[in-house]
Amino acid sequence: MKNREICIYRADASSCNGCDIEIVAALSPRYRLHELGVRVVDKPEEAGVLLVTGGGNIKIGGDLRKVYEKLQPPRIVVAVGSCAISWEAFAGGYSIAGPADETMPVNLYLCGCPPRPPAIINALANTLGVKINEREDFWRPSPNFRGKHSLDLEACTACSACEQACPTRAIEITGKDGRQTVKYLLGKCSYCQTCERACPFDAVRLTEEYRLAFRDKEAAVVVADVELTKCIECGSFFVAPRQIEDAIDRIGGKAKEYAEYRENMRNAMKLCLNCRRKIVNVRGAKRLLAQLAAKTLESP
Amino acid sequence: MAQVIRIGPYDPTLFEPMAFEVTVKDRKIVKVDIDLGYAHRSIEKLMTTKTFHQDVFLAERVCGICSAAHSTCYCQAVESALDCYVPDRARYIRSVFFELERLESHYLALALLAHILHEEGHFRRILSERELLMDLFELATGNRVHYGVNTIGGVRIDLTPESIQKFRGVTARLRRLSDHILEAFSEKGEFTTKIRGKGVLPREKALALGVVGPTLRGSGVKSDTRKEDPYAAYGELEFEVPVGSDGDVYDRQLVRARETIESLNMIEEALDSLPDGPIQGEVGFPSEKEAVGRVEAPRGELVYFVKANGTDVPERVKIRTPSYMNNYSFTEMLLDQELADFQLIVESADPCFSCTDRLTIINQENEKREIVSLSSLRREK
Repeated sequence: MKNREICIYRADASSCNGCDIEIVAALSPRYRLHELGVRVVDKPEEAGVLLVTGGGNIKIGGDLRKVYEKLQPPRIVVAVGSCAISWEAFAGGYSIAGPADETMPVNLYLCGCPPRPPAIINALANTLGVKINEREDFWRPSPNFRGKHSLDLEACTACSACEQACPTRAIEITGKDGRQTVKYLLGKCSYCQTCERACPFDAVRLTEEYRLAFRDKEAAVVVADVELTKCIECGSFFVAPRQIEDAIDRIGGKAKEYAEYRENMRNAMKLCLNCRRKIVNVRGAKRLLAQLAAKTLESP
Repeated sequence: MAQVIRIGPYDPTLFEPMAFEVTVKDRKIVKVDIDLGYAHRSIEKLMTTKTFHQDVFLAERVCGICSAAHSTCYCQAVESALDCYVPDRARYIRSVFFELERLESHYLALALLAHILHEEGHFRRILSERELLMDLFELATGNRVHYGVNTIGGVRIDLTPESIQKFRGVTARLRRLSDHILEAFSEKGEFTTKIRGKGVLPREKALALGVVGPTLRGSGVKSDTRKEDPYAAYGELEFEVPVGSDGDVYDRQLVRARETIESLNMIEEALDSLPDGPIQGEVGFPSEKEAVGRVEAPRGELVYFVKANGTDVPERVKIRTPSYMNNYSFTEMLLDQELADFQLIVESADPCFSCTDRLTIINQENEKREIVSLSSLRREK
């Protein structure tokens, strides 16, 4: 064996083969993974680095652990693809064990569905401390590549349209102290662009960024913080101001006769759901609206 | 003295996790047992927990090599359950991506054949030219493997004149690659002598075992879902169905090599006659209806069954994958063969275990393994 040669073993743990073909592609003459001094071996005993694809199901778990134990120390494990990190679209299935970091310690999480071959090479080079030069054109992704999300903090209203459309439940929206936090989990995303198509405010876009390797699983997120507006009756936080303006614009656009009642509509919409439920009849609603109008006149 | 050898689930001869129990006597294989379940991901059950639209992406992830086949088949089944109309342009675009995927899959199978035969020159050339296809996918759809082209009622991604231009350039280059591969299959080619007469699956056995796709056509049966039950744009495209004669490894791989030429022809024809118009049709409301979709995936006929119950979530989805039918032919193909040819013969059916794995029940008393159907599970309850 040559000096400083790094041996890699690939273990397919119930993956869909997508990541596996991309690892094979990384070895192809075009990407020249072997130039890093990397060799892919057939036996785990000879390898020091393990690339694991897929998170492992109930049946394969034990065999996967055996493969890990056969590795040569220091046993570097790279979880390739979102399935190995969080089981992505398959999370919650009855035969699903894992993900990979429950079977063995994982050193690097490489997000993507699947990660591009340059991303795999990049991640390997970073873990092993090898320098690479990304010289050729094909290292660059195509202009409409579906990579890391970019969130427009001004435009996002935390309306949860993307959360409901997401096929892998990779988007979490949580509220606290008048702020709504939108979290895109890169290790759970399938990069299918459904969120971009579902967003009514064009706030999310999938960028060309494809190097999504993280040492810490928790760091693989894109976050937006959205400030909420207060209910003018009870003072509790309930909705983003932009969402109210958008609703008024839409009503004005669809029904011209309401256009001049903009201010009244705005007041009515600044009521939270609980306060709206308190209205029992038309007279009650009128009285409340009059109160609100007086309130807004008083406040600057 | 008979000897039982267990191969897998992690073994250098296998590219995916699967286990074989091979009984060998005098260096010849006398019995083969297949042990599935290492890639079982409970997809059919998961599909009934997500909406129809979300399931398109789950169907795509059944297999990383046939993702267009799975999503097209699922969409076709749902479209007939929801009475959707698919515009002409969308049907043509589906066919284009379907054939590109067949090319990608067949080139990978042929590259693996070259690798097993230690023809490293061919292996490297096929793999590096295959990258052109992957670039094309990334350029047109934004991802190299899971394209996300299909949606219920049509396609999500339109072809622009620039991308069509790129498609034509690539098909012209791949034509030369396919000719180069076919040369290796000629009378004195590098592949021919090494693989002729190995792993024979006679026509009658192939029909009895119910194999599909190139494995069936290699045994001399002219059967292709694209001809028999045209879907997408295949009713309007002209193509031939190549068949083999003896049903050995050579015939199966030659069918694949010849199919790449047909696919290239079809892609060019579809791009020439690409109709204008919308790419997405109206999606109806779900009613209580059952429907079936059939397509000819790279490995053979793929069937989806979808049962809608009036909600936005399917009540039942059943997937019959081609490898599921083909894998049991190993028990026939491997008989009386040298153990050294094991990998060559297994790869000649181009098996895909990620889409095949089914629930296996192990009887604790006699350690007998059996693959059971859902109906018999119900009866046990």
